[in-house]
Amino acid sequence: MVAMKVIGAVLVILSTGGMGVYFSLILKERIKDLKELNKLILVLRGEIRYASTPLPEAVGNLATRTDGEFKRFLLAVEEELDKLEGRSFNDIWRGCVEKELLDTSLNKKDKLLLSRLGENLGYLDKEMQLNTIDLYITQIQGELDDAMDSVKEKVRLYNMLGVMAGIFITIILI
Amino acid sequence: MIKKDELLRIFSVQLRTILSRINLDYGNLQEIRLRINAPLMVVYDNREFFVSTKYQLTDQVQEAFIITKNEIRETMEYISNYSLYAFEDEIRQGFITIQGGHRVGIAGKVIVEDNRIKSIKHISFINVRLSHQVKGCANLVVPYIASDDKRNIYHTLIISPPRCGKTTLLRDIIRHLSNGEGVAEGVTVGVVDERSEIAACYMGIPQNELGIRTDILDCCPKADGMMMLIRSMSPQIIAVDEIGSREDIEAIEYVINCGCKLIATVHGNSVDDIKNKPILGRLVREKIFERYIVMDNRKNIGCVEEIYDARGTLLYKDNYDR
Repeated sequence: MVAMKVIGAVLVILSTGGMGVYFSLILKERIKDLKELNKLILVLRGEIRYASTPLPEAVGNLATRTDGEFKRFLLAVEEELDKLEGRSFNDIWRGCVEKELLDTSLNKKDKLLLSRLGENLGYLDKEMQLNTIDLYITQIQGELDDAMDSVKEKVRLYNMLGVMAGIFITIILI
Repeated sequence: MIKKDELLRIFSVQLRTILSRINLDYGNLQEIRLRINAPLMVVYDNREFFVSTKYQLTDQVQEAFIITKNEIRETMEYISNYSLYAFEDEIRQGFITIQGGHRVGIAGKVIVEDNRIKSIKHISFINVRLSHQVKGCANLVVPYIASDDKRNIYHTLIISPPRCGKTTLLRDIIRHLSNGEGVAEGVTVGVVDERSEIAACYMGIPQNELGIRTDILDCCPKADGMMMLIRSMSPQIIAVDEIGSREDIEAIEYVINCGCKLIATVHGNSVDDIKNKPILGRLVREKIFERYIVMDNRKNIGCVEEIYDARGTLLYKDNYDR
């Protein structure tokens, strides 16, 4: 009977501890995703600044420089733009952010900022594009800095909370 | 051969549907004109037609499909690939070259800054001019611009009023010389295509056939382009369209002194017209050009009327009876 209780307690603590690790991993993944996004947007800036590359081509070029979810997102944007079905760039961009980035660790605010980037892309002249991208890079850099500043504390907190919650539940059950 | 789908891609969804359902021979289609709050028009087989909502060409304006602001906006998005910023230079010049080499002329409200055209906004008028390359139209003139042994090419000036096919002729001459058709062997040709009319490059790829030994500087100012080509691509022949400015003439003198042959076009009706031009006239009087090809369109577009040598001797005359 005691052995059963011990096994049960271990399982509870392991599972809640696992949850703590899972949430701390999401935090780390978000930083990785933000860094990748930052890199891609810098490349997009280069494409527009240096070669005035049109958006469908630039987005396609970006897709070749990344993989995973972002590649799928960029390819989806390129494909939708290529269809020429009467939708604006902003509409297509926002739609793909909502549909194709579900499996990333970006949070709601990150996705909102990325959606807003599409609002002014393609509008007016090259200077406008560069300013829009610069604004986005500043915002994403701010998010990245905040996330990196707090990641160590939060990871420790989540791990601890996970284990403590397990112990707490075990005590109540016993 | 015009690729119908490739051309229709640039139009809004509704216009695409209408234009794709009309029974048209795209080889005879010359222009498609979109004007805001005005009927959709096409120039087909040298005649102007309205396009009706029943997918037919008609003379009746009341049956015509009326272009809305939305159609223009959507069409401009597709023409510019959702990226007007990528076509700033072209818009400043008033046209964009699209896939297939077709020329899209645009007009609207011009934005001027420091007495220079900065851009065009509120684009409300679009004219799609279809590019028709006519292979073989230079068959007649190539023997005249090559020496008897076909090894030497003469400095040649094509003189023609607008819309007579001088660029079409120049394009085919380039193709002949580059591929070695009608001459002893193919030669390296450098083309400075300032307005993307000759090669009609789309994303760097020539949409018109200019031959296997042709290098193209696309959207490059003629004077700078001629110098660049000589320094970088060692062409034997340099081809340019619509010369006339002082810088062009200076670059031409440089080209000629470098041992390159020049084939150029200019607006005019006769050799005398060109002689009277302030800067270019001097080159004619100095007998720099060895052949003059004079064109007109009284018989058909691309008709060569006369060919002269440097001294003004008539080498060829079209015997078409007016």
